[in-house]
Amino acid sequence: MTIIRFGLNGEPAQVHAPVTASLLDVIRGLGLTGAKVGCRIGVCGVCTVLVDGLPVSSCLYLAHCANGADIWTAEGIARDKPEVVEAFVRCEGMQCGICTPGQVVAAVAARAELGRAADDTQLREYLIGNLCRCTGYATIIEAAKAACDGR
Amino acid sequence: MSAAAECRPDARDKAAGVTRYAADLPVPGGTLEAVLVRSPLPHAEIVGVASGQARAAAGVVAVVTAGDLPPGLAGRRVRDMPLLGRGVVRFAGEPVAAVLARSRTAAESAAALVDVEYRELPAVCDPVAALGPDSPRVHEAPWGYPGAVVAAGSGPNLQSEVTDGDPAAVARALAGAATVVTATYRTPAGHQGYLEPQAWVAFPPERGITRLWGTTKSPYRLRDQIAACLGLRPETLRVEPAPLGGDFGGKGGVCDAALCVALARVAGRPVRIVLRSDEDLTATDARHPAVIRVRIGCDADGRLAALDFDAIFDGGAYAAAKPVPSVNLHGALDCALGYRLPCYALRSRVAYTNTVPKGHMRSPGAPQAVFAVESALDELAAAAGISALELRRRNLLTAGEPDGYGHCWPEARGRETLDAAVAAARRLPGAAPPGVARGTGVAVYARPTPTPGPTSLSLAPLPGGRLEVGVPVPETGTGSHAMIGRRLAAELRVDPSRIVVRQMATTELPGDPGVGASRVTAGLSRAAAYLAEAWRASAQDGPVLVTVPAAAEPPALSYCAQVAQVAVDRETGQVTILELVSAVDVAAIVNARAHQMQIDGGAVMGIGFACIEDLREDDGQVLASNFGEFRIPAATDVPALRTVLVDGGKGVGPANVKAVGELTNVPVAAAVANAVADATGVRVRQLPITAERVYWAIRHRGRP
Repeated sequence: MTIIRFGLNGEPAQVHAPVTASLLDVIRGLGLTGAKVGCRIGVCGVCTVLVDGLPVSSCLYLAHCANGADIWTAEGIARDKPEVVEAFVRCEGMQCGICTPGQVVAAVAARAELGRAADDTQLREYLIGNLCRCTGYATIIEAAKAACDGR
Repeated sequence: MSAAAECRPDARDKAAGVTRYAADLPVPGGTLEAVLVRSPLPHAEIVGVASGQARAAAGVVAVVTAGDLPPGLAGRRVRDMPLLGRGVVRFAGEPVAAVLARSRTAAESAAALVDVEYRELPAVCDPVAALGPDSPRVHEAPWGYPGAVVAAGSGPNLQSEVTDGDPAAVARALAGAATVVTATYRTPAGHQGYLEPQAWVAFPPERGITRLWGTTKSPYRLRDQIAACLGLRPETLRVEPAPLGGDFGGKGGVCDAALCVALARVAGRPVRIVLRSDEDLTATDARHPAVIRVRIGCDADGRLAALDFDAIFDGGAYAAAKPVPSVNLHGALDCALGYRLPCYALRSRVAYTNTVPKGHMRSPGAPQAVFAVESALDELAAAAGISALELRRRNLLTAGEPDGYGHCWPEARGRETLDAAVAAARRLPGAAPPGVARGTGVAVYARPTPTPGPTSLSLAPLPGGRLEVGVPVPETGTGSHAMIGRRLAAELRVDPSRIVVRQMATTELPGDPGVGASRVTAGLSRAAAYLAEAWRASAQDGPVLVTVPAAAEPPALSYCAQVAQVAVDRETGQVTILELVSAVDVAAIVNARAHQMQIDGGAVMGIGFACIEDLREDDGQVLASNFGEFRIPAATDVPALRTVLVDGGKGVGPANVKAVGELTNVPVAAAVANAVADATGVRVRQLPITAERVYWAIRHRGRP
């Protein structure tokens, strides 16, 4: 077991976890549900969180590697950057919603990295690691674009 | 309507990650985590299960095998599937034991310590071989299962066989036809590919009631199936569906729900089963692979003479997941629907094999059948020297004409829908780059919108003048709960913000057949009218409940026509879809955005079926056992999608709607195959249309 200290959605957090624990399991063990359990091999993107501003698949990210890092999940983004969540609500960038928290996290990263200039093609490339089986992606890309535009 | 009311009420919580799906729900202390030990072999006798080491492992409470559980069999129509393998396993992935432990980690570690001794048996993993006289038997006596639709003399390994039409008339018509083509088409196993693994939490009985939470789209039917399997009375089961993280047909069966209930009863404590994603892909109800032979002919004027449709579907090791009385696939049975056909003959067989049991996926059987028939139509057109478009235009039904079954639809708008799709296709700019061939393909799908079925709803006053509508089916993502709230608000002439939608448990409403067959909007919007009427007639101070019978009106016919434009790299065979146009025959549209998302999501799923998705079953093993191997379309796989709504149609129910959820996923594969043939001259008769297949088809051009 190891002690891991990190920032979680703007608050300090501390956990005792095995060195093999994934960041996903640690976050969910703290009662948060925004990072979902999907493929567990880093492909589907439903567990996406921000680690020091970068979107990562938390299922593949060892929790102890996040020691000292600043972690954000969709729950924290909803409080800190509500306009991103509102973009997904307004554009209806979802159906079943299981991928949506991960899409929201990825959209925050896209906004930071691509900014207002982000176009459809760039956003599709950026969100390639966040699968959706329901929507066909049009409304997700629209929501991500709205988030980037700050609309 | 206020802006807030226009948003889906579930949208904000979903985006913020606070919606609790089945695996997110907090469980009471003492809940045991179950991990299943699965067979690595497709067919084997279970000689023994040595579980001593696993039982002794830290945190383990029990290791349960079939002998510890009731002997009942599970299934939707045919009850042929044991809770755990009993004496024999019939597919690789079949659960043999359940390890119950205080933590998921403990259960997973201990599951690796369960030592199952198998004696391998001859397996049959190909559906055509399975129906042969000398094939190994998957089940000794499948006709003996409750609900079986085959007889002892039906032949080996048969789950079901449907024959229809007039084979003698077809033989005569084809003998006299000017042009006849015969071709065989193959489609692989696929998966619904929902991203939320299946999850269940069952509780031991309390005051005579057994609770179950989980991932089901058909809670009342699930309740009845569990009751039948475990010998319980349905009213003693309280099924509480959670919001679904994707379904597409995959969460309609009994799945591991009956097992979870049985484990909780044995353990005397709550039990949770959460599948790993690879278990969903390798051991739940995948889409049926198909081998379909089509013979079709036309006269010298390009008028269809007859269709002979002969399909063999791979049903896998159990028929348990198939919900329809025929235990067959409606997409195959509906193969003669959209065109004027003087005669037709159908044979559709589903075979037992030692592969993962197959179930329903978005328009069951139709993507396979339409790929075959719509490809064959293009082959017929080429052989007859008519354009593929013109052949369809000459034969699509118009109102009042008989289809292949002799049925006359009051409205049949296939030709308008096809013309609208063709008119909307964009003229591609410039010439194709060197080494690239471009082509265009069309395909058409006709589907009945069913008569609104029976359901039930409740309405209760809440403090602050709000009203709570209780709904029987879970939100699968389509926006059905939002739809019912808005519809009721409109019926009652109140602001939608006053309506709260609540998911009811099966003990709280009389029943509903579940989400499926594109029936939810038609059925629940009609039920909302009944509920509003009952509410107005009541004192409006207590709950009101309505049970809505099935409607008496006839079903409607909807068409979808698609035009695919592709670019094929002649050297590598790589196919790029440049544009996909979907023209959809619609009546009233209840929510334009939700409607469009069904069209887009369906089209993209169809592109996956056409070009990407394949579970790659090999000797009874699913090789594409994770989302890295079983690839589904990502945002970058989506071409330019264009939609044309052919409005003005006559739908069903007071909302006057036509089905849309299971349309656009269907014709894509044939449209793409036809476009590839147009571009290259080679015909791909096996899905998915990968670069490798096209490459070899080009290399082998002209060879038999």
